[in-house]
Amino acid sequence: MAQLSIRSVSKSYGAVSVLDDISVEVEEGSFVVLLGPSGCGKSTLLHAVAGLNPIDSGTIVIGDRNVTNLPARERDVAMVFQSYALYPTMTVAQNIAFPLKMRGLDRRTSDEKVTGVARLLQIEPLMSRLPRELSGGQRQRVAIGRALVRDPRLFLFDEPLSNLDAALRTELRAEIKRLHQSIRRTMVYVTHDQTEALTLADKIVVLKAGRIEQTGTPLSLYDDPDNAFVAGFIGTPRMNFLKATVVDDGKALAAGEAKVDISHLNTRLENGRTVKLGIRPEHLDEKEGVALTLAVDVTERLGSTSYVHGALPSGETVVAERREDQPRFGDTITLRFQPRRARVFDGEGSRIR
Amino acid sequence: MRSIAAASDPTKHFFQPIIVCLTVASVALTLFVIWISLHDLSLMRAGREKFVGLDNYIRFLGDPRAMAALWRTVLFTTLATVIEIALGLAVVLFLDRDFVMKRLVRTLLLVPIIMTPVVVGLTWRFLFDPATGMANYVLSLVGIAQVDWLGSPQIALFSVLIADIWQWTPFVILLVMAALESAPTDPLNAARVDGAREWQVTWYVLLPMLRRALAIVALIRAIDSIKAFDLFYIMTRGGPALSTETLNYYGYIVAFTNFDISYALAIAIILTLFTNVALLTMYSVLFPKTGNR
Repeated sequence: MAQLSIRSVSKSYGAVSVLDDISVEVEEGSFVVLLGPSGCGKSTLLHAVAGLNPIDSGTIVIGDRNVTNLPARERDVAMVFQSYALYPTMTVAQNIAFPLKMRGLDRRTSDEKVTGVARLLQIEPLMSRLPRELSGGQRQRVAIGRALVRDPRLFLFDEPLSNLDAALRTELRAEIKRLHQSIRRTMVYVTHDQTEALTLADKIVVLKAGRIEQTGTPLSLYDDPDNAFVAGFIGTPRMNFLKATVVDDGKALAAGEAKVDISHLNTRLENGRTVKLGIRPEHLDEKEGVALTLAVDVTERLGSTSYVHGALPSGETVVAERREDQPRFGDTITLRFQPRRARVFDGEGSRIR
Repeated sequence: MRSIAAASDPTKHFFQPIIVCLTVASVALTLFVIWISLHDLSLMRAGREKFVGLDNYIRFLGDPRAMAALWRTVLFTTLATVIEIALGLAVVLFLDRDFVMKRLVRTLLLVPIIMTPVVVGLTWRFLFDPATGMANYVLSLVGIAQVDWLGSPQIALFSVLIADIWQWTPFVILLVMAALESAPTDPLNAARVDGAREWQVTWYVLLPMLRRALAIVALIRAIDSIKAFDLFYIMTRGGPALSTETLNYYGYIVAFTNFDISYALAIAIILTLFTNVALLTMYSVLFPKTGNR
């Protein structure tokens, strides 16, 4: 049974539609990530689930209760905010104990629970400090502690790592993952960072302009995107898109000088049609396959691998991974890729399979 | 910061002379005032003053009119500050964060603050006129007997209080509104998710966040109320039967009606000491951990 069902939820501010008929099912104990660029409505959706944002239409069900019209305090969810949202005038211990205090829990049980959570998150030495005396990472740990202490049905995370620096982000990301594996609670996590989404999620919901673009497991979104938006949004560096024309009675695409075999597609395309050919940078470093000539602009050396930025004879810019050598500005190199690795999209960006 | 200042920071040549001038001016004036208050300088017998030690201060303790004025000052200051803060805070909390015509309301709120106390005092004197005033007219509409707002010794002080509240509550509203606008909203939402009812959100999260702003507004209002003079001068002149004479006003009478300069300055110093002690106490209560809150 689904722990959280969002059923055709819509919301608009005046004429601007921020959520357009959104439906998401979240299984019990799973980790679902709402992913999208800023302004796509993902935070609005999360706030709607928490009960902080009224919705115009649709239903939200948590467990077996329809909570659509219930206030936030009766929904039995816990939320971690991007800004940490700690109570600035309370100590760490008081912050974590606040949800228990609001539920009228007696002092002793409350103290026990707070200590337990503090031990789990290793923030025991900080208990008597005020939030402003803590670092960003410590603050977010306290905020997670405040969410954990109540043992709610549903955890909501609203871009919890966005205000942290890169090293802390990686560390806390792993910690959230570990936490989910150990307590096995249902978690809904909002982020614009596809790395976070790919590493944390059991299921990713990709949103754009208030609509769901695609829902699926991290790997299925990466391997089998429904459209050019998802293909471009998932994966770093992002997928290269080349203009191509259908030739040979739909059996191949001509992209510049290259001819790409697409006879494996189920759809038969008519000659002369213009499509987009999507190739990921990591698939452009093959020994064999279709060749593209690249005039190198910049090479980014990351240690374990390198990324080459350059332009094709057609003028289209391309990013390619390069594991063996590191070409320099002015070099002309040959990139090779397997046609089956490439993805084909129509003019509107929909996938052609 | 300290280490930079300790090293040869050339900017000190700009600010240090000013600090020295201001210090010298205030210290010299204070000492001069204390010195005069230890004499019996009176403009009625100029040139014949002599050193009398603490006589003026002892006279103050035995002066029932001064003691009554001190008590009135305490009463007026406490009531004005508490009511203005409570009322201002209530108004801010009941108004939405964002409401229609907020800019207009904010501009209108400035009107009483900008008005000179003379105009405010005169306006309220007209309103409180027992025969022709609006206040009694309104009361008569709801069937309450006429009140002699400024003529009754039991009521006059509160009539002035009403005028003061009318003029200065908007000031509290403006400052608290600004504090509320700059306060983060996420903790309020966090409290709602954590199971707090709206009054609990306000009580446990919002008010503690506004405490600093409220404390500062309260301090400003308390200091102003202690020094209040113009409203009393315009509306009652300390009357009737001295019932609205505050210590500040009494000091004025002693100096400029009785020309007893030394005693007036002694009163001024007592008022200053009293104010400082009261406000420091208030400050330490409002900001428990010194400095860093």
